[in-house]
Amino acid sequence: MSRQELLSPEGLRVDGRRANELRRISCRASVLNSADGSSYYEQGNTKVLVAVYGPREPRQKSLAHHDQATINVEFNVAPFSTSERRKRSKGDKRLLEVASFVKQTFEGAIQTTVYPRSQIDIYIHLLQHDGGTLETCINAATLALVDAGISMVDYVCACTAGFIDETPVLDLNFVEESSIETPDLTVAVLPRSGNIALLQMESRLHSSKLEGVLELATEGCKHIHKKLDEAVLAAAGELAKKLS
Amino acid sequence: MTSLILSPAEQDYIIRGVESGFRADGRGSLDRREVSLRTGMISQANGSARCRIGNLGVGTDVLVGVKAEVNSWTPGEPEDLGSIVCNVECSPSAAQEFEGRGAEEINVELTQLLDRILNGPQSGLDLKKLCIIPKQAYWVLHIDALVLDVKGSIVDTLVWATRAALMSTSLPRVVVETIGDEMGNMQAEFDVVDDPEDLTPLEGAENLPISVTFSQIGKRYVVDASEQEEAVTQAKLTVAVSPVMEICAIQKGGMFRGFPPSLLAEILETAQRIAREELTRFDVHYAQAKSHLSSQADEPSTGSTFLVQF
Repeated sequence: MSRQELLSPEGLRVDGRRANELRRISCRASVLNSADGSSYYEQGNTKVLVAVYGPREPRQKSLAHHDQATINVEFNVAPFSTSERRKRSKGDKRLLEVASFVKQTFEGAIQTTVYPRSQIDIYIHLLQHDGGTLETCINAATLALVDAGISMVDYVCACTAGFIDETPVLDLNFVEESSIETPDLTVAVLPRSGNIALLQMESRLHSSKLEGVLELATEGCKHIHKKLDEAVLAAAGELAKKLS
Repeated sequence: MTSLILSPAEQDYIIRGVESGFRADGRGSLDRREVSLRTGMISQANGSARCRIGNLGVGTDVLVGVKAEVNSWTPGEPEDLGSIVCNVECSPSAAQEFEGRGAEEINVELTQLLDRILNGPQSGLDLKKLCIIPKQAYWVLHIDALVLDVKGSIVDTLVWATRAALMSTSLPRVVVETIGDEMGNMQAEFDVVDDPEDLTPLEGAENLPISVTFSQIGKRYVVDASEQEEAVTQAKLTVAVSPVMEICAIQKGGMFRGFPPSLLAEILETAQRIAREELTRFDVHYAQAKSHLSSQADEPSTGSTFLVQF
């Protein structure tokens, strides 16, 4: 089987980007009216809608902690999101995995001790899928949590990076991600401290190359932080306009 | 449906209000709420629409995507018909009890209702047109609805969004070639033209019915019930009416009380009148959504512009 060329000799990728280029990001907070916080985030052709409810009373009393909030994440993929229609059941392991990664990431970032005996629900809808599911979910959830006014230590910004033909590449799309040889590293950082909140890698990569890839992904996170910050300011500006 | 709990005083207030012709939000008993409609925001679906019914930006919110796929015929299926498959999913963002498997029951109920309205001659869609080669291949239209918010009248919103999504649906062109071999046997082959510009709109989508749901509250009934009104609804009747004023589907829901037959006749008559008004309203909104879509044709396609305008 001939391998598809993911990086042309001129250094361009399948979608015409350079190796260190992110896809176009556009995002917006406060898109749903009944949710406490919501966001719509798209990175290239991957589009995510997030609704955040809470802090509110836990649905199951047994899940409540007396000293901190419980975070509950549900991840849902729309059947029309992929190029071939596919319906996934609620118990799909891949969906549960993404949900649990998002949950673990935000358990460190949200100041859960501020909201004892309560629950924060994060509902994520993937409307269109073109690679980088986890990173878009985390970025969108950050925006929705900020919109809901939930105390957080910092933003959480996530980005992926891979390694194609001896070159670290930023923000893999679906074609690049599904190629087996491409290592796929997702990293989420707290931009102020630079601490890593989540790190996940698939496939294999020589240990000497890891640093370069990680550095590139962290650089991408900084750009995403800027974009998220703009969206938060825009939402706050709109709110201020409504109040005045 | 949802777990809205009303105090007896509030229930009494709503019921007596409806009985004397007043509703809590100031509407008359046959008035409907505002509608927002947008189409074409999911680029890899063949058709899509988002519809919200509710005043002041809060209301029932449904997103529908239509995806067409070519299926090969297997014995036992109709020989020269295409097919429509509906699927409704209620998101936990609509209500907390839809979390996990909590929405399964309502998903099935809404899926079956939508299927009853769309799958068959009553839908106005010519399923024969969806057949590519008899006994060989046909189109399947997958209609996937995502309910993002529930504030009463979920069925009507669902039908509005589905109608708009199907009207905005276009299918790739299919070339059918008939090849005869030396034995005189004719064999048909087809080819789906893979060109995003070469699409034909779905035929007959403008014949799709619209639904009107009546809620019996006290001794009277209202259309387009709000969330509070649904909590005190004793019986519910959904009527789907086509543009030529044929009744396409009826479903009675609500477990507290039965409808007297005399009321049923009255409701069916009112349903046709309201459906006519609703269809005119639909056409206005759909034309707006279309012009909105073409006005942003120069801008890069992004869903967020659609969400801003909504």
